[in-house]
Amino acid sequence: MGLISGLVMGALVGIALMAGWSRMMTRRSTKRVAKAADVKLLGSLSRDDLKKLCGDNYPEWVSFPAFEQVKWMNKMLGKLWPYIADAATLVIKDTVEPLLDDYRPPGITSLKFSKLSLGTVPPKIEGIRVQSLKKGQITMDIDFRWGGDLSIILAVEALVASLPIQLKDLQVFTVIRVIFQLSEEIPCISAVVVALLAEPKPRIDYTLKAVGGSLTAIPGLSDMIDDTVSSIVTDMLEWPHRIVVPLGGVDVDTSDLELKPQGKLTITIVKANSLKNQELVGKSDPYVVLYVRPMFKVKTKVVDDNLSPVWNETFEMLAEDKETQSVIFEVYDEDKIQQDKRMGTAKLALNELEPEVSKEIELNLLSSLDTLKVKDKKDRGSLTIKVLYHPFTKEEQVAALEEEKRIIEERRKMKEAGLIGSTMDALGGAASFVGSGVGMVGTGIGAGVGMVGSGLGAGVGMVGSGLGAVGGGLSKAGRFMGKSVTGQFSSSKKNGSPTPVQGDGNAN
Amino acid sequence: MGFVSTVLSFFGFGIGLSVGILVGYFLFIYFQPSDVKDLKIRPLVEEDTQSLDRMLPEIPLWVKNPDYDRIDWLNKFLEVMWPYLDKAICRTAKQIADPIIAENTAKYKIDSVEFESFTLGSLPPTFQGMKVYITEEKELIMEPSLKWAGNPNVIVVAKAYGLRLTVQVLDLQIFAAPRITLKPLVPSFPCFAKIYVSLMEKPHVDFGLKLLGADLMAVPGLYRFVQETIKKQVANMYLWPKNLEVPVLDVSKASKKPVGILHVKVVRANKLRKKDLLGKSDPYVKLRLSDDKLPSKKTSVKRSNLNPEWNEEFNFVIKDPENQLLELNVYDWEQVGKHEKMGMNVIRLNELTPDETKTLTLDLLKNVDEDVQNDKFRGQMVVEATYKPFREDEMKDSENSDEVEKAPDGTPSGGGLLYVIVHEGQDLEGKHHTNPYVRLTFRGEEKKTKHIKKNRDPRWEEEFQFLCKEPPVNEKMQVEVVSRAPSIGIHSKESLGYVTISLADVVHNKRTNETYHLIDSKNGRIHVELQWRTS
Repeated sequence: MGLISGLVMGALVGIALMAGWSRMMTRRSTKRVAKAADVKLLGSLSRDDLKKLCGDNYPEWVSFPAFEQVKWMNKMLGKLWPYIADAATLVIKDTVEPLLDDYRPPGITSLKFSKLSLGTVPPKIEGIRVQSLKKGQITMDIDFRWGGDLSIILAVEALVASLPIQLKDLQVFTVIRVIFQLSEEIPCISAVVVALLAEPKPRIDYTLKAVGGSLTAIPGLSDMIDDTVSSIVTDMLEWPHRIVVPLGGVDVDTSDLELKPQGKLTITIVKANSLKNQELVGKSDPYVVLYVRPMFKVKTKVVDDNLSPVWNETFEMLAEDKETQSVIFEVYDEDKIQQDKRMGTAKLALNELEPEVSKEIELNLLSSLDTLKVKDKKDRGSLTIKVLYHPFTKEEQVAALEEEKRIIEERRKMKEAGLIGSTMDALGGAASFVGSGVGMVGTGIGAGVGMVGSGLGAGVGMVGSGLGAVGGGLSKAGRFMGKSVTGQFSSSKKNGSPTPVQGDGNAN
Repeated sequence: MGFVSTVLSFFGFGIGLSVGILVGYFLFIYFQPSDVKDLKIRPLVEEDTQSLDRMLPEIPLWVKNPDYDRIDWLNKFLEVMWPYLDKAICRTAKQIADPIIAENTAKYKIDSVEFESFTLGSLPPTFQGMKVYITEEKELIMEPSLKWAGNPNVIVVAKAYGLRLTVQVLDLQIFAAPRITLKPLVPSFPCFAKIYVSLMEKPHVDFGLKLLGADLMAVPGLYRFVQETIKKQVANMYLWPKNLEVPVLDVSKASKKPVGILHVKVVRANKLRKKDLLGKSDPYVKLRLSDDKLPSKKTSVKRSNLNPEWNEEFNFVIKDPENQLLELNVYDWEQVGKHEKMGMNVIRLNELTPDETKTLTLDLLKNVDEDVQNDKFRGQMVVEATYKPFREDEMKDSENSDEVEKAPDGTPSGGGLLYVIVHEGQDLEGKHHTNPYVRLTFRGEEKKTKHIKKNRDPRWEEEFQFLCKEPPVNEKMQVEVVSRAPSIGIHSKESLGYVTISLADVVHNKRTNETYHLIDSKNGRIHVELQWRTS
């Protein structure tokens, strides 16, 4: 009897114990899961969430701008800046000086930094926004502002004379887009893509001075530098153009990240209507320059003495990024004696076009593309064009890429052979050395970006190895830009822009 | 009978309990799924008041405190990156664990130990605020608030003697408030030499540990015990002021500290070429170290002499003996006009044997470049050079920048050396000009820094020493910032503000490092470090 009751009692107690344990388990498990959910929710609060959470005691110091503020990072940058500046100076000197030597044009015996100081004012990061626009990629936009007191003196020794050129008071206001390509190998980032966002327009201002002389001694020099800088910025750095830096350690195919032609534009410039006369005697002699990338400009024939000229010329152009790119049309008045005058300009955004549909469009001409700058509402006439957008298939894309490479190569060869640019022969030497100088400026910017990146890496506590890679990429970027500069001169047009250029290539 | 019955009932109870536990285990626990439940997260706006109240203690620090910054962008970054990080980390962990497991299974005759599942879950760690402290020292202090309430799932299956044992770790939660200090800051990437990590509070740790599907942590009392043990262990190791030190760079290399001294004796020059039209040249030698910001040193001028004998000695502090050069330039002194260069040469420091005096006879050249113009004979110069590297023990002293160095020999006992480092000024403003330099006045002795042209936030980083026979406990030092006019004329000098520092503090503390507000200045501040070195 005792045994049976003992058994039953024991079994009951045992089962009850297990039941209790199991209940305890579930309770603790749900508690943990609930906490995990809470922490997850609180990791990405929005304004409405916070209002609900805090009720009437909403804290005043909390704000939710589109770009999240990073005061702590600016504090760190401020403290670290003297050290960063010192370190970067060495890096820039080491990587850029041999580069300058590589691209040193004939006639110049030595090209060296005689002074390179990044100044005492640290850059400021106004905000950071992180998005995930594509699977496996993180897009980070950094609102970057630097009104620095940097000073670079480039000692240029030519056969005849030496001329130190100083670049100072650099101001950079731009949004830097950094895309991280993720991978499943540590450090989990296989490549970094760096570009400047086109909207808002990057602004890069600086002052150029010849030490102990005047830049005006060589006519057109200052303009040429400005023009080159703005071309580099728009054609190399401004989104959708980008610099791809593969990170060391992981072997990945980064060709997907590179900018590739997406489609072909067939544009027919039909005619212009009621242009405004620019000449005192007779009528203007208009022609149209059009481009998607300033590196590949094409122009129509000149129609003499006509304010409603008909061209009916057809051009083919490549588009790399339909979403953000646009075709720029510039109507000029040919002037045999003076510089050609711009009669008006217009822009056609590519995302307005439908693929494979031919369309006739009439564009109103404006004095400038920068809407802030358009003062007059004067009618400058209009331009009639026909456009057809054809998106590439895979094979066509590869072919187009090859073709583009071939063109660039050809241009470079022609330039080397002295076929192009002979009109500017007198300036040639000076111009190309300035080009390399500008390449250096570009690298300076690249270095700035790299630094921000590294500052970030350090702050976030991510793998520090990214640093070295950025440094390496820096030299790569520099080389890339330097090359583009030499190719650039053949196509760059003089337009008398004032010294502080805007990064938009149309500063006038 | 009663006794037997009691024994039997106890016996029965024992068996019954075991059976009951077994039945209960299979009834309640065994068939419960072992996988981690997917987390359902509703938007906060839809939550009811009760769950909102539950959330209140977890509100991020950036909401509660104005001095914490929100870093939700970083959370977003981590969230996107997490699946990739998860896979990478798990794979690495498995790779590390596998050989260890293989070794131990052989030792203990276990058939196999395997990871049935190894994932860190779908929830990344979140940062709930970040605070940065700026101090006067060469360091950066960050305090992120880290919360990881994840849903990792690690199942280890061990098989031995035909039995199967599963151990599962799940729902790991770690809340911590680490302090990350980067110091010292150095002028080469990544700009800091060491990382120190320590915890400001005891961390909160919670997890589930399932043995054969039963959560051991749910045993009353056990969880608390385990948690306390973990906390205590961690606290013993990393709770502030204890810390974890991660070296990143070699400090001595990164900051380019002095590693030796170069003694140079300029003995004489022979057969210099005449430069002056009338009479002979008046030569002197200028010595300069490459990559050094210090001004060059000069010998005296020997009048009308083409074979001058100087026999003058100079000392240079060497930071990089592998690459630095000593430049020797012979100039012709002129009363009026530019001093003309008569020739030059360099001494490569890596050609000198340490601690050995070498007498060098150098041909004078026009410049160091290999050039045809060097063929011409410009005379010779005789120089004695000795490079003395610091001994190891001397080096070690200088590595610990936090500690105050000993005063050199020859300091009177009872007294010491007052060491002043003028770091930088901020927001200085002159009425007419701002070309500031600092004038230190102590016991009537006056010392000055270099002046920096047109700069409201100058960095001097200059060091000064004052020898004292007794500790200056009751004395003061005046630090005045003065602006020098760019040219001679009116408003030649202008005071930008001053501050008087009482020295009692530094004598007691051995070291002070502070930014002082300047008197007679709007917003001007000056950062001065003082050290009291005794022998």
